[in-house]
Amino acid sequence: MSRRIAIVEDEPAIRDNYADALKRHGYDVWTFPDRARATDAFAHRLPDLVLIDVGLGVEIDGGFTLCRDLRAMSPTLPVIFLTARDSEFDVVSGLRMGADDYVPKTVSLPNLIARIAALFRRADLANSPATQEDLLTRGALTLDMKRMAVRWNNVPIELTLTELWMVHALARYPGHVKDRDALMREANIVVDDGTITSHIKRIRRKFQAADNMFEAIETVYGMGYRWQSPAD
Amino acid sequence: MSAPGIRGKLLAVASVFLLVPWLGYEYIRELERFLRQAQDDSLVATAQAVATALHDRPQLFGFAPDRSLGSLRDMLDTVAANDAASAAAHSEATGEIQQILRGLERATSRIWVIDRAQQVRARTGSLRPRADAEAGAAELLERPFAWLEAAVLSPLYRMILRQPRDDFVDDAPPSYGRELDTALSGVLARGTRATTDGYAAVAFAVAPVWAGDKVQGVVVTEQTTNSVLRQRNLAFERLFGLLLLVVLAGAVLLFVFASRLGRRIRALRDDARAAVDAEGRIVQPLASSASGDELGDLSREFAAVLRRLADYAHYREHLASRLSHELRTPIAMIRSSLDNLQLSANAAEARVYVERAHAGLLRLNFIFDAMSEATRLEAAIANTPRERFDLREVVAGCVEAYRTIYPAARFAPALPAAAVPVMGNPDLVAQMLDKLIANAVDFATPETAIEVNLQVAGRHAVLRVANKGAALPEGMQARLFDSMVSVRHAGSGSPHLGLGLYIVRLIAEYHQGTARIANRDDAAGTIVTIQLPVAEA
Repeated sequence: MSRRIAIVEDEPAIRDNYADALKRHGYDVWTFPDRARATDAFAHRLPDLVLIDVGLGVEIDGGFTLCRDLRAMSPTLPVIFLTARDSEFDVVSGLRMGADDYVPKTVSLPNLIARIAALFRRADLANSPATQEDLLTRGALTLDMKRMAVRWNNVPIELTLTELWMVHALARYPGHVKDRDALMREANIVVDDGTITSHIKRIRRKFQAADNMFEAIETVYGMGYRWQSPAD
Repeated sequence: MSAPGIRGKLLAVASVFLLVPWLGYEYIRELERFLRQAQDDSLVATAQAVATALHDRPQLFGFAPDRSLGSLRDMLDTVAANDAASAAAHSEATGEIQQILRGLERATSRIWVIDRAQQVRARTGSLRPRADAEAGAAELLERPFAWLEAAVLSPLYRMILRQPRDDFVDDAPPSYGRELDTALSGVLARGTRATTDGYAAVAFAVAPVWAGDKVQGVVVTEQTTNSVLRQRNLAFERLFGLLLLVVLAGAVLLFVFASRLGRRIRALRDDARAAVDAEGRIVQPLASSASGDELGDLSREFAAVLRRLADYAHYREHLASRLSHELRTPIAMIRSSLDNLQLSANAAEARVYVERAHAGLLRLNFIFDAMSEATRLEAAIANTPRERFDLREVVAGCVEAYRTIYPAARFAPALPAAAVPVMGNPDLVAQMLDKLIANAVDFATPETAIEVNLQVAGRHAVLRVANKGAALPEGMQARLFDSMVSVRHAGSGSPHLGLGLYIVRLIAEYHQGTARIANRDDAAGTIVTIQLPVAEA
């Protein structure tokens, strides 16, 4: 049975383009132009993944409201935000929106589809036991890229998909400096340098919430970032 | 702070009040002159009164009117050589003069009667005041701050003012050579002399005593100037004490006032400094004062200016982010269309994606056009000269044109009967109307009229454009006039950059007017109100 993806986007051309691309990949697609119609439909049946535009018509952050409502209905439903502004997630990062990922609207369709696939994989494997070969262990860090899950000192850290890919890119080769282009490539996003900086900040904050001594991600000024192995 | 503060400057300016005691001193000197004049007049009056009492009574002087006049020394010789009868008559006459004088006796003044021979015929009174009068005067000197007077002021007064002294010696008969001669020749004389020891000044008057047309003798009245000096000193001390008190109190008040003023100004400075950080960003609003005076005004004005600057800085900061937001949507349209185009197999599908990409391009183009319109307008406004024109004519003409541009819309204009003269530029006003009407047509519910209402209220022309349709969300009314703020729904057809009302605001401000947008009272639509000042007749 095909997976059902809901797209909530007020711009018809973008909405239809996304819908066409997803249908071509075998997904079942619902489209909604505003929050009210989406909320009505979700009350009857939840989709398997939701793609939400932050700004919905008159409601300049209607997407956030919709995400909160969805989280109340299902804590595990994968949610991807489409944003037209870089600053939006800095403004609301403290709100713990509970989104699984967020991408700029200018993301390429293959990239978007890769993200959707990764999120479905995460959802599917969340409850199955992990096998040793799927795991990447670096000191206190355990990455399970199959399940898209990360643990620090065995405590699960809630990372978005983009953040997870960035951590993976860094931790795969500890001590190697990854510049911003490499991080963008590996995390499948195209954004400006400032956005990479704020992603790194958010990742650090999430790890520090679990361990306030966390300093494994080191800034190498002028070059990029690197994962520091514990000094053993 | 090395320069003197307000306090120091204010006190320096206030030092001009130190002239007041000097003025007081001058005033007291004037008073003294007046008193001395009065004393002189009273001495003259007394001398004349006594002389009058003695007029035409030659027997009082005990010798024939034709008796030749000699020097005082001659006179003494003559007296010594006089016969017994003459001596008896002399002493009897002297007794009678004494009697008359007793009735005129006054404290602190002395009266002499001297005959033509310059011999003293009678004398009464004393130059020295009586002890009890002195005591009475001392009682009067009951004042506050006696200790201050004793310690500081009295020595000061003694330095400035001559003090009267009553321990002078002046018992010898007066030797008024010139004045006696003057008086004996029949002319009143007056003057001032020192006591024989020089300790006091004595004012005197000499009046002739007539018998027929001959001068028989003179009356001399004398009085020390001590009483005048005493009164002058007393007045000065009182005045000086009072002035000192007033000046000191004034200085203290001034100091307190200046301190307060200085403190408030420093507080304002500190507030202003704290409000803006080193990079010139406004970090906190200024705490404006509630005081109604000029300083309160200044702080409120300053707070308002800072607030406006902060708003503007906020607007500039967000302009770039809004612009990137506006540009991303068409780019996403184009990109997703191209991606789809790459993946699609059949030609019919492909045409749809090409059309969507084309729509995205059109939108991008529209954005750049709108932006350059706003930029061009900003530049044009700076160079457009103001002229006098009839606003009613412009509005009427535009509305007629809109009927053909928007055939589906209905317009309900309400214009005044008379012309509405306005200073500005009619083309800009027409451009402003274009934006207002385009907005109203877009938002209006189909089949409802767009009201265009122009009227004159006081010194302002008020233009209202109202449409029925969706109401504005709360809190958006004021922001809509900023560049790139929009509440427009997607799918309304044309792109929404939020520059229209920004242009309206620019043009209204060029005409020294204001632009406001509000929901209709029934919340079934919006009203834009433009207020422009009417041109002077």
